[in-house]
Amino acid sequence: MIIELGHYALVLALATAVIQAALPILGARLNDRGLMELASSTAVACFLLVAFAFTVLTFAYVTSDFSVRNVWENSHSLKPLIYKISGVWGNHEGSMLLWLLILTFFSALVAAFGRNLPETLKANVLAVQGWIAMAFALFILLTSNPFARLVPAPGEGKDLNPILQDVGLAIHPPLLYLGYVGFSVCFSFAIAALIEGRIDAAWARWVRPWTLAAWTFLTAGISMGSYWAYYELGWGGWWFWDPVENASFMPWLAGTALLHSALVMEKREALKIWTVLLAIMTFSLSLLGTFLVRSGVLTSVHAFATDPTRGIFILAILVFFIGGAFALFALRASHLKAGGIFAPISREGSLVFNNLILTTAAATVLTGTLYPLVLEALTGDKISVGPPFFNMTFGLLMLPLLFAVPFGPLLAWKRGDILGVSQRLFAAVAIGLVFGTGYYYAMNGGPVLALFGIALGVYLIVGSVTDVALRSGLGKVARNVAWRRFTGLPRSAFGTALAHIGLGVTLIGIVAVTAFETETVVEMKPGMTVEAGGYTLRFDGMRNGSGPNYTEESGHFTISRGGVAVSEVWSSKRLYQARRMPTTEAGIRTFGLSQLYVSLGDQIGEGGIVVRIWWKPMILCIWGGTLFMMAGGFVSLSDRRLRVGAPARAKRPKTVPVGAAE
Amino acid sequence: MLFWILVAILTAAVAVVLILPLMRAGEAPSSPHSHDIEVYRDQLDELKRDQDSGLISSDDAELARAEVARRLLAAGESDRVVTPAVSPRRGANRLAQAFVLLCLPVVGLCLYLLTGSPGVPAQPLAARLADPNGDINVLIAKAENHLAVNPNDGAGWDLLAPIYMRNGRIEEAVDAYDRAIRLLGPTPARLGGYAEALVVQSDGLVTTKAQEALQQALALDPNDPRSEFYLALGLKQEGKKDEALTAFNRLVATSPADAPWLPLVKQHVAELTGAAAGSAAAPGNPSAEDVAAAENMSSGDRQEMIRGMVESLESRLKANPDNLEGWARLIRSHVVLDQRDKAAAALKEGLKTFPADGDGGKQLLALARELGIATDGVTQ
Amino acid sequence: MTRKQKRLAIIGGGVGFLVLAAFLVMFAFSQAIAYFYVPSDLAKANLSPGTRIRLGGVVEGGSVKRGDGKTVTFTVTDTLAGVPVTYTGILPDLFREGQGVVTEGAFVQGSSVFVADTVLAKHDETYMPKDVADRLKAQGVELSGKETIK
Repeated sequence: MIIELGHYALVLALATAVIQAALPILGARLNDRGLMELASSTAVACFLLVAFAFTVLTFAYVTSDFSVRNVWENSHSLKPLIYKISGVWGNHEGSMLLWLLILTFFSALVAAFGRNLPETLKANVLAVQGWIAMAFALFILLTSNPFARLVPAPGEGKDLNPILQDVGLAIHPPLLYLGYVGFSVCFSFAIAALIEGRIDAAWARWVRPWTLAAWTFLTAGISMGSYWAYYELGWGGWWFWDPVENASFMPWLAGTALLHSALVMEKREALKIWTVLLAIMTFSLSLLGTFLVRSGVLTSVHAFATDPTRGIFILAILVFFIGGAFALFALRASHLKAGGIFAPISREGSLVFNNLILTTAAATVLTGTLYPLVLEALTGDKISVGPPFFNMTFGLLMLPLLFAVPFGPLLAWKRGDILGVSQRLFAAVAIGLVFGTGYYYAMNGGPVLALFGIALGVYLIVGSVTDVALRSGLGKVARNVAWRRFTGLPRSAFGTALAHIGLGVTLIGIVAVTAFETETVVEMKPGMTVEAGGYTLRFDGMRNGSGPNYTEESGHFTISRGGVAVSEVWSSKRLYQARRMPTTEAGIRTFGLSQLYVSLGDQIGEGGIVVRIWWKPMILCIWGGTLFMMAGGFVSLSDRRLRVGAPARAKRPKTVPVGAAE
Repeated sequence: MLFWILVAILTAAVAVVLILPLMRAGEAPSSPHSHDIEVYRDQLDELKRDQDSGLISSDDAELARAEVARRLLAAGESDRVVTPAVSPRRGANRLAQAFVLLCLPVVGLCLYLLTGSPGVPAQPLAARLADPNGDINVLIAKAENHLAVNPNDGAGWDLLAPIYMRNGRIEEAVDAYDRAIRLLGPTPARLGGYAEALVVQSDGLVTTKAQEALQQALALDPNDPRSEFYLALGLKQEGKKDEALTAFNRLVATSPADAPWLPLVKQHVAELTGAAAGSAAAPGNPSAEDVAAAENMSSGDRQEMIRGMVESLESRLKANPDNLEGWARLIRSHVVLDQRDKAAAALKEGLKTFPADGDGGKQLLALARELGIATDGVTQ
Repeated sequence: MTRKQKRLAIIGGGVGFLVLAAFLVMFAFSQAIAYFYVPSDLAKANLSPGTRIRLGGVVEGGSVKRGDGKTVTFTVTDTLAGVPVTYTGILPDLFREGQGVVTEGAFVQGSSVFVADTVLAKHDETYMPKDVADRLKAQGVELSGKETIK
């Protein structure tokens, strides 16, 4: 009965969403307070109902209730508890329910903390959220119902796809969805602004933290997913430019742009219309990502189940929201008042530059991802657009941006002095070059591009530190004054610096791994040794073992350096019983920031086995950098104070500042 | 009943939560610009603090203050222009309340009745294991759980193996027989079952591995008819027709007159006598082409043999449809032969005798689902 | 510069950047994409040696041979034609005879052997690379009943 009650709660949530979508927007029109207040109560009620439904589904998983089809298809009574729980969203139906849960959670947050929002804005925002919730609740109930029943109930489940039975999966989708869906709030704010035809000062005050939070979670989700693919798939790669990865990366690029333009908006009231457009684009890309992943136009590990009705339903949602939003934008954007004005060389100007490059890069990734689909639809030719395409286009486009990053925070608002900033950054460039050259010699003989890449990474890090140092007046004023200023700096300044440092760290990781990684494929018999990254691996032999729902064969390796054993590693191949499916569990040992990665192949003859060994120098920097970015996001988010960007005084009074990019 | 009461309570609770704010529709909202003014005031305070802590020079602060002040003035200006708020309309409010009260139960019940299965209880596995109530799926699951903890319980594997076989879980049956033989030692029944599972696993082909098991079984009990039959079938598939014929004939001779397998064996005998006569006409040693032809024939034969079995089963069921196991076997055989349409048709036929809401019908439906046959539309 | 000129300069710069990016994308498309073929397409495809392509099909039963341990040769077939493929490295977990694969690489000058540097197999037992399934279906090859194409 509890299952059916959960099911009914989900249906009731849909009914609540219908009210949330219809009445508050009317209230805002009629200026009726009662109707507008309905927005908050429906949002909270809707969240509670979905949360109840989600809890019931989780309960069904935990108690292995195979009378629920979804549980039977994706669970097994012998699966460890954590994978029973993570299995709830390890499949299409459950993951859509999680999507809805997070969406309604954010609506409830807006309802609960939106007291200082103008009432009409709040009502409109929550109404738009209601539209989205309604569409997805309907989608879940009609095409992907997680509460469908099976009578009589089977005795055992079919188990979760083994490569999804991993802690990484327990965290990756919720984080990713927090990011994806977080942008829905920005989208709703943008649509509300278009409906009202005006942007309040409170608008920007709200949109920037939401963007920041969504961006931080999305960063965490993508980073987590990348690390998961790295250690679970056993191919040793950390990014494949797989369409599904691109689906999450495009909203990230657009979201990063949005983050920066929302900054300009909050502090300077400039770039209003552009920010609205960007908010719409970011969530549209999130929806597109959901469509690509869920509709089955792409085949990948993420396409849990493919069913044409689902694809068409999601496509309809996509067309309705994206098409509707852009149509509304075209109709109403002219009603919004353009904001502040600034010179091309200024903090605002640099942020416009950032936006230009990031959106272009997102467009490039979009082109590369959709081109094969479009080409196949038009000509029937099947092509694959792989890493070479993306490395060439995306990499080249991002280069100028990476150069510009440390300049931005050093330029003054409204009008800046690029020469002065260049001088101040001279030290950073020099240090970057020295490090790059030093690394080049240390790794003797790497490609010249690597020197450049490492230098760029170090330049980013030093440049970001320089920014904070200069702003606290280090070296110019007395030390205690500088310290006081340093501690008095807004937290968002530290957030910016941390995120930019993270970018540098990730870049160093990427360059080092790409240029200096070594890969050895070798057939090993017990007692044989292999050299990798200055370490010696000795293969000791194989051992059979078993886990709760799998059997495995593991190879043991002793790692030594200079003849001294320093570590050991197990690498295994598992066979999951329920699905009779083999997986590779790579053995990974970390040395500093670098890793040894050992993956097993087929057994050959007497005790021999094919082994693939990678030495991955500095690889942890890739994900370490994203940790910095996330830290930056959270630090910046904790800055609750309102900031004003103080404009620089014109040096020559005659110069008339221009309004740009509006 | 309790379920519907809870549904009613839940709906009512949500309705109350939503209606309350509508009831106390109070004064008209404050002007939207008052919020802007608040934001600008905050910004001015912030500027002062920054200036005091020396983060920005007083020059810059002055400039920023001027900017904010301009916006503040503009906001105050439009505040005065804004039309005074309309007094709340009673009519709209009433309509809204009616909408809420209607929308919740109507949308809720309609959609739920469309998609839900009211009356199906929750069935947590633990509760089902504690009280299986004759549910074969649960009994299997129970045995599996027991064996997962005690993988060396040979008797358990021995018990489970034929059940797997009957449920079409062939790979697991092979594994279970294998374990039972290793743990409890070989018996003709186990070895024969193992071999049979192997044969089904390889789509009816009697593999070398199966033959070894069969020979071992015959060594233990020279009169095991199942082993004899499959060995003979293996010989036939290899093209050793004379030997196969001898083996089948011996089986006919040793079997009791009413043995259920006799018709099938006799069918093989008939086929072989026909085929043997043909090959006897070809003189000399078999050429490469002959071997190839024989190979082809044997695979065709194999299909033919299974088809024959299925057809006889089908006609028997037509005469006497009150045979649940027969229907189940027929459905499974069709699936093995990759004739899904026929399997679905058989399911439909079977359901005529065993209605879908009865126990037998449920078993058939469950089997069909397990085998991946569409069950939609069959029950109507 | 007047206000208008400055604005034009900014817009011009932006548009210029976009045009540059568009050219870059076109150039990359001409250089860095791989067409997908099944073995029986290759006869008419007329590829020059060294062109990177994706070759998909089914691993022919009994064709997998291990060389000196690391190098594997096998035949990819669409039942109408077969192409010998060599690959050095570790095959994916789900690489099996009779199952669908997609390989990426190129033909070497003067040889009919396809040298693959990437081999992709199905992600799980019910998944067949869509490219392969579509093409095989188009060639009139039905997959065995157990194989559900998704």
